[in-house]
Amino acid sequence: MSASFKAIKKLANLVLTSMRIGDWFILLAASVGIGILFQSLWSTTHAAKLQIRMGDHVHALYDLNIARDVHIHGALGDAIIQIADGKARFAKSPCHNQYCVHQGWLSRTGQAAICLPNQISLELIGEHKPFDTLNY
Amino acid sequence: MHKWRIRILVIGLLGIVIFTLRTHMTADVYQQQGYVFGTLVDISIEAENKQQAAKLSNHIFRDFQQLHQQLHAWKPDSQGKPSELGLLNAAFTQGKSALMVSSQLAEIVVDAQTLSKQSHGLFNPAIGHLISTWGFHQDSFDAVSVDHQKIKTLVNARPSMDDIVVDGQNVYSINPQVKLDFGGYAKGYALDKAGRYLRERGVTNALINIGGNILAIGQHGNKPWRVGIQHPRQPGAIATLDLDDGWAIGTSGDYQRYFMLGDQRYCHIIDPRNGYPVQHTQAVTVLIPPQHNAGVLSDVASKPIFIAAPLDKPRAAIDMGVTYFMAIDADGNVLMAKPMADKLKWLAPTFEKQHHVRIIQSH
Repeated sequence: MSASFKAIKKLANLVLTSMRIGDWFILLAASVGIGILFQSLWSTTHAAKLQIRMGDHVHALYDLNIARDVHIHGALGDAIIQIADGKARFAKSPCHNQYCVHQGWLSRTGQAAICLPNQISLELIGEHKPFDTLNY
Repeated sequence: MHKWRIRILVIGLLGIVIFTLRTHMTADVYQQQGYVFGTLVDISIEAENKQQAAKLSNHIFRDFQQLHQQLHAWKPDSQGKPSELGLLNAAFTQGKSALMVSSQLAEIVVDAQTLSKQSHGLFNPAIGHLISTWGFHQDSFDAVSVDHQKIKTLVNARPSMDDIVVDGQNVYSINPQVKLDFGGYAKGYALDKAGRYLRERGVTNALINIGGNILAIGQHGNKPWRVGIQHPRQPGAIATLDLDDGWAIGTSGDYQRYFMLGDQRYCHIIDPRNGYPVQHTQAVTVLIPPQHNAGVLSDVASKPIFIAAPLDKPRAAIDMGVTYFMAIDADGNVLMAKPMADKLKWLAPTFEKQHHVRIIQSH
C-alpha cells in the first residue's frame, strides 16, 4: 500500500471519527439540497425553443428569445413564422382557411400550431413537456 | 473505525445518483411525422434499434397512404383513377347492380352499419352528398352560400347505412342518394391496424397519433403515455390524462374543419337529421378502454355525442358504450362523466375556474 493512500485513509478516519451528529445532519442536508437544486435548475435553465417541422422532417430549431421572422417555403407556398418575446406564431401563410394564422401566439412548452395544407407545424420545446402528444 | 458511517455515506450517495439517473433517463423514442388522411400523423416507437423502428414506422405510413387512397371520398389517385370508395359511390348513384369490393372495404361497410345502428343513425357515413353540399369535399373550402332547398331534398331522401346491402364482397345500395364518407371512421380503423401491426412485430411501447386520434401501446419509459387535450378556441392544451396500454382517445371538434359566415360557425360535423352543421357543441372527447377496435371507437363514438342535443349527450354516450367522455358546449361549459373527471388533470387552472364544469355520475 502506498504512503499517500495510507495518509488519505488516516485523514478519512480522522474526519469520520471527529464528526459529530450535527456534522452528519449538515452533510445530509447539503446532499438533499444538491439533489433538489439539480432537479430544479438543471432541467429548466434551457430556454424554450421553437421547432419547425416541414412535411416529414424537422426543418429547424430556433431560440425563442431571439426575435426574428422565419421565411419558409412549404408544400403550398411561402409562410412567415414570427418569433418575439419568447413566443412564436404563423404571421403569414398561403393556405386558404388561415387556421394556422388564427391560432395566434404560442408561448408555453407543448403548444403547437399546424398548417395542414402547407404541411408546416410549429411546436414549443422545453425541458418539461407536460404531455407526449396532443389530442385535438 | 466507524464503518457504518462510511456505509451510510456510500448508500446515500448511491441513492442520489440512482434517483437523478432515473428521472433524467428517458428511453430512446423514434419519432416520425407525416401528412396522411388530410391531417398530421405522428408515430413514436420506443426501440433499442432505431433502424428497426424506422422500418416499422415507414411500413405504417405506406399502409396509411394506401388506406387513404382506397377510402378517399372525393379525390381520385395520382393517376386520375377514382378511389375504391369513389367507384362504389358511383355504383350507388347509378343504382345498377352490385359492385365487388375488396374484403377490407366490405368489412368496413359492415362494421360502420353496426355502429350507425348503435348510434340510432347519428353516426351516419352515408350522408356524403350532404357533406359535399356544405363544401367540405374540397381541400380548401369556401364559405358556401347555403342551399336550403338542396339540403332539404337530401335529408328527405334519408340516406342511411341500412340502405346498403353487403353480400360477401358484393355491395349495392337500394337508395341512390347514399354516398359513403368515412371521414369519421378511417383514422380510427388505421389506428387499430397500426396498433396490431406493431404488437405483432414485438413492439411493446409506442404511441400513434392520427390527426388527434391516439392509440397507446405500453408506456413511455417508466410512465404511462401522457396526452394533452386541445383547447377548442385557443392554442395549447386544457388538460392532460394518462393513456395506459391499449387505450385510445379521440375528439370531435368544431375547430378542425369549419368556415365562418358572418359570426356563425359552420363546422364539418353535420346532423344527419336536419342536414345542418352542429352549432351547440365545440368539442367532444371520448376515452376508450382496451378492446380490439378501440381506435375505431375513439373516432366514431365522439360523433353521436357531439351531434346529440346537450341534454341527450349522456344517453348518446351510453348507446355507444362510452363511459369516459367530456363535452364542451358552445359557451365553453364542460359536461363530463365521473370516470373521465377522475382521469383528467386540468392544465390551465384558469380554464377550470372560468368555465362551468358539470360532472355526471355514471349509470
